[in-house]
Amino acid sequence: MTLVDFANLLVAAVLLAGIYAVMSVGMTVIYGVMKIVNLAHAGFMMLGAYFAMELFERLHLDPIVAALAVFPIMAIVGIAVYYLLVRWLPQSDKPTLPSLLLMFGLWLVLQNLGYVIWGNEDRSIFTPRTFDVIHAGPIILPTIRVYVFAAGAGCVLLLEALLNWTWFGRALRALVQNRYAGQIVGVDDQKIASLTFGLGIGFAGLAGALLASLYSFNPDFGRPFLIRAFVIIVLGGLESVSGVAIGALVLALVESFAIIWLPAGYQLAVSFGLLVVVLIVLPGGIASLIGRVRRLA
Amino acid sequence: MTGARLRIFLPPIALLGVLLLLPAFGIQPNAVRLLFVTFVWMTASIAWNLLGGFAGQVSFGFAVFYGVGAYAAAILIDGGRLNPYLALVAAGMTAAIASVLIGLPTFRLRGPYFAIATIGVSETVRVVATNLEFTGGASGYRITEPRPFNQAEHYYTALIVAALAFAVSLFISRHKFGLGLIAINQDEDAAADTGVNPFVYKLKAHAVAAFLTGVAGGVFARYAAFIHPNGVFGFPISVQILLMPVIGGLGTVWGPVIGGVVIGVIEEEIVAYFPQVHLLIYGLLLIVIVLFEPGGILGAIRRLQRWVRRIRDRQAGKRTADARSKKPDEVLWGAGSGPGR
Repeated sequence: MTLVDFANLLVAAVLLAGIYAVMSVGMTVIYGVMKIVNLAHAGFMMLGAYFAMELFERLHLDPIVAALAVFPIMAIVGIAVYYLLVRWLPQSDKPTLPSLLLMFGLWLVLQNLGYVIWGNEDRSIFTPRTFDVIHAGPIILPTIRVYVFAAGAGCVLLLEALLNWTWFGRALRALVQNRYAGQIVGVDDQKIASLTFGLGIGFAGLAGALLASLYSFNPDFGRPFLIRAFVIIVLGGLESVSGVAIGALVLALVESFAIIWLPAGYQLAVSFGLLVVVLIVLPGGIASLIGRVRRLA
Repeated sequence: MTGARLRIFLPPIALLGVLLLLPAFGIQPNAVRLLFVTFVWMTASIAWNLLGGFAGQVSFGFAVFYGVGAYAAAILIDGGRLNPYLALVAAGMTAAIASVLIGLPTFRLRGPYFAIATIGVSETVRVVATNLEFTGGASGYRITEPRPFNQAEHYYTALIVAALAFAVSLFISRHKFGLGLIAINQDEDAAADTGVNPFVYKLKAHAVAAFLTGVAGGVFARYAAFIHPNGVFGFPISVQILLMPVIGGLGTVWGPVIGGVVIGVIEEEIVAYFPQVHLLIYGLLLIVIVLFEPGGILGAIRRLQRWVRRIRDRQAGKRTADARSKKPDEVLWGAGSGPGR
């Protein structure tokens, strides 16, 4: 492998990491506040992809603009789902079996609604720009991936700002730390939870919509990404946006460089293999590794 | 036998007797096929319930064991020319070994994390099976047996396997091992403090469940005579296996049996007319059950019974609730959905 190949792979991995972070961050915030592992995430990603396609085909929006427009739509969908279904789940500070089964059932429903509405053929979003590339010296950048990365990374940074600098963000973080204590000091946990669920689903939709301009999709879209999101969360720890970003980067690097040794068909096996290795070697994720290093220093 | 024992053992034995005699009365081949499919599903359902119901470790990856069992049986019967029944046992063993290999890393995760990891396992296994040589790849594997096809033989095989699975489930529910699993379900740390090693218990339950599911997969493979990775390793198989105990009543002995019958009938009768929407129906069922009756069908029956009893008591002018202990029956039929669950 020449240095140029290496640089190309590295850049590709970083670009991939951006989109991975977008899809994982939605799961993380929902988990943080409600302690619900959102198995329906893949279903919402699929919806986001199809919404982006509809916006692109009917209103002729630019795919990236369409993806950004999908965010508020999906956020509203998420809030509606929260009030319809999620609210009735028994509250707990641990993930519960009913919540898991409910989200799983919701995923099945969404996926098969997708089949009913859009059929089962593969769809994709093509623009004249789809195959454009930017040459930065010897490094070749597909333009669309750069845009997707910029949009995704921008939204994740916005989320980080939202969490740190607004009252909503502070309330959300309070609930993440301790739901009951948050209630005591006057955080309306129902309201924050519903907004958080909307935020998480919005990010799921955004991730799906952004992925839609990179890959083809069908109603089964998202399942491999659900597993990747999970690997990222385990890697990065469930607490923070920066943890998710690091996890996304690690997974993207491993996947990109594994292509050198493994056929592409096994790519999913790579992410799962990484999960197994992480669970055995450092069950606490990268955060625990950093903590350990810090303690030693 | 004392009364309590009679109540536990008589219904399954009577049911088994009826089902054993049924083909002798000359029922239609289509009905035999429906029963066969139901028994296969029921076996997997009972197996899943050992881990998912008793121990509360939901797995979305039982298609792995179903598929491994199907392929092991297929390859041993077709390529190895092994006695079909030995091949079924070997299929179960292979699945059990696979379960240990999967369980060693994934049982480091608790509850829901384990559940998501199993989605990863089943996806990975499906991808690998599609790319391997000896499974016939994506084009599938055909099983030819020297003996001619005999539907009654398949019927009895499936029935005996399902009966064995039930016996295992009943045995576990009445012994220390089962109590340990239930303790893990309720509180893993507390269980560990009382001398139950959760990791080992889960591994064992996983292995037993995988064995039974693998045998079920082998039985099905023999009957179908053709299998392919996207079929037997497919995600819908995992979904169905998980759904049966949830519908019937999680963590009970009879729940998965009832769920198996329900799904067997839905699968054969409804899906035939609406092939597009069966996962949609399953999803809606799951949502409705979780939100309205977490105890499944058995829970609903219990609730109905309580309701009827309360009305009857009120009419009789009694004010006290029924204080008789239901303990011996609880694990069989479910305890309803009181605040403790």
